[in-house]
Amino acid sequence: MMASVIDKTGFTSEEMVIRGVRVHMLTAGRGSPVVYFHGAGSIGGFDHLLPLAERHTLYVPAHPGFGASDDDRHIDSILDYVVHYADLFDRLGLNEKVDLVGHSLGGWMAAMFAVLQGHRLRKLALVSPAGLRVPEHPTLDLFTIPADQLPPYLVADVKTLGRLLPGGMTNEIKLARYRETTSLARVAWDRLYDPKLERWLDRVTVPTLLLWGEQDRCIPAQQAHSWAKRIAKAEVATFPNAGHLLFAESADAVQRLNAFLS
Amino acid sequence: MALLDSLQFYFMHFMPYTKLPPGRTQGQWVDIPNAHFDPVEGNRLYKQYLDELVLGDQLGYDGLVVNEHHSTFYSLMPSCSVIGGALAALTKRAKICMFGTPIALTQPHRVAEEYAMIDVMSGGRVEVAVPLGTGMEYFVNPVNPSFARERFREAMDILVQAWTQPGPTRYDGKFFQYKYLNPFPTPYQKPHPKIYIVGSGSEETIAFAAEKGFGYSQVFVPLAPQLKSFQHFREESARHGHKTDSESIIISAMVYVAETEQKAMEEGREHMMFYFKHLLKTSQHFYAPPGHLPIERLKKRLESGTTIQDTEVTWELLNTLYRTVLGTPEQVAEKIAMWCEQAQSSKIILHMHVGDMPHWKAVKNLTLFAEEVMPRFRRSAPGLRQAAE
Repeated sequence: MMASVIDKTGFTSEEMVIRGVRVHMLTAGRGSPVVYFHGAGSIGGFDHLLPLAERHTLYVPAHPGFGASDDDRHIDSILDYVVHYADLFDRLGLNEKVDLVGHSLGGWMAAMFAVLQGHRLRKLALVSPAGLRVPEHPTLDLFTIPADQLPPYLVADVKTLGRLLPGGMTNEIKLARYRETTSLARVAWDRLYDPKLERWLDRVTVPTLLLWGEQDRCIPAQQAHSWAKRIAKAEVATFPNAGHLLFAESADAVQRLNAFLS
Repeated sequence: MALLDSLQFYFMHFMPYTKLPPGRTQGQWVDIPNAHFDPVEGNRLYKQYLDELVLGDQLGYDGLVVNEHHSTFYSLMPSCSVIGGALAALTKRAKICMFGTPIALTQPHRVAEEYAMIDVMSGGRVEVAVPLGTGMEYFVNPVNPSFARERFREAMDILVQAWTQPGPTRYDGKFFQYKYLNPFPTPYQKPHPKIYIVGSGSEETIAFAAEKGFGYSQVFVPLAPQLKSFQHFREESARHGHKTDSESIIISAMVYVAETEQKAMEEGREHMMFYFKHLLKTSQHFYAPPGHLPIERLKKRLESGTTIQDTEVTWELLNTLYRTVLGTPEQVAEKIAMWCEQAQSSKIILHMHVGDMPHWKAVKNLTLFAEEVMPRFRRSAPGLRQAAE
């Protein structure tokens, strides 16, 4: 069963039940499908993705354990999320020629989805993705950073967060953050990468774009080259004055992605 | 009244490392540089603290309580089994209370083995209370805090299986697999030492302890909610067909006895303040790693705005929140009678050495309590009963 509501931003809000878990999804636009896997924080919203909906049907599902989706107590690995999304793609009839975009944690999921379900994809875009182990340019262990010290790690300009969270860090947002951080910890407390992923990346055969903020202090932009080396049809685009929340800080990056997908 | 006739006094030692680096306001956990540890001072403290525990045995305390914390000046016991082993050899009659290893942080068969060793070595003097482990422990042990509670329950099942089912047995869980669960030695006490769960008020911990028929204890939970959860624990236990009695719940108190109330305040108070201000203090970040706190608990914590770990501690606040008494033997005895009646508990943990208390005060406190307070209960002095009623 699906219920849908159009919200004020232009997204349509839908719910569905997958393996007994209620999941929430935003959709917008009309055209060939683009699916976006969000990162470990969904609280700032997804308005900055709307340009993608100009020529595509944009799907932004909330992962179980995040945003308006319910928790799934069975999920404790990236593979669980890949299986979840294989189910969701089946449900939506997305069996071929889908463009998949993943940011950060969602980038890791998207890369693993491309490794295992590549036949469904037309193009892949990874936006400051987690998942790869690059010892020379290590990913920050987010769990060691107290919440109040986190902003400069997420964005190049801390004012960006003020725009995303105009009401500030209310208790409600703190609780929502704790829940999402817990969901992240369930799959990535030990490490925000899988040491085996580099062995598997040669299975990604679709055209792939890596987008990165040059000021990313969570996952350094230098990691882009390690991805590009292992994916046959990869290109890299980096953006100055943008941090880990790339699309919130760089409209150019959204346009670059749009051009790649058109 | 029978309850007060059968009180058991447990002397608990935190074994703190008290030579704090100057100017460190964020607490002494997780990331405190261990270069501040001076092994010569450590050696002195271990000797002092073991002397105090041994004195507790000689003075007639019913139990000696040790516990376990990691990477912190709060405690010199990252393994309470090591101290438990020493106590088995150094003491004669007191219970050795392993209150205890956070079992989710280790491998449960090791807890079964080590505690059984101490139980056999001591001729059956072990009691066990198992905590989840503070959030801070999960930053310094390679265990994912978001599975802490699930892992804890599985580990407890394994401990009980190891102690109740003749081995070898098999265990196939989510976190632990045993092809041959077969701990050797097995406990001296049959079927096994008494087991308590140490909680901090979580609904699910109470439910777990009640369902499994364990005893229940709490640490540093303000009095009013603590008494409420004790009541809840008794009801839940009954619902699961487990009878509770005065030994099913353990309460705890900070106590200092002296000749006069004023002297007790003068001698004891600063060390209790030291404990709360410097040793217990930690940050919200380390206190609540992801998934370690149930979301409803975090909600309450955020809404109440103050917690003992991150607010400025005042003496008045302490006294309203916790069981604290500094006074004459009579004053101390009256409070203890009242607290035990209130919680319907006959087991009370006494923090007789607290914070940076020097050896002579610990000895004085232990001695005065044993000689002047305990006998009032042993003979169940009528005056006390009236005080409690």
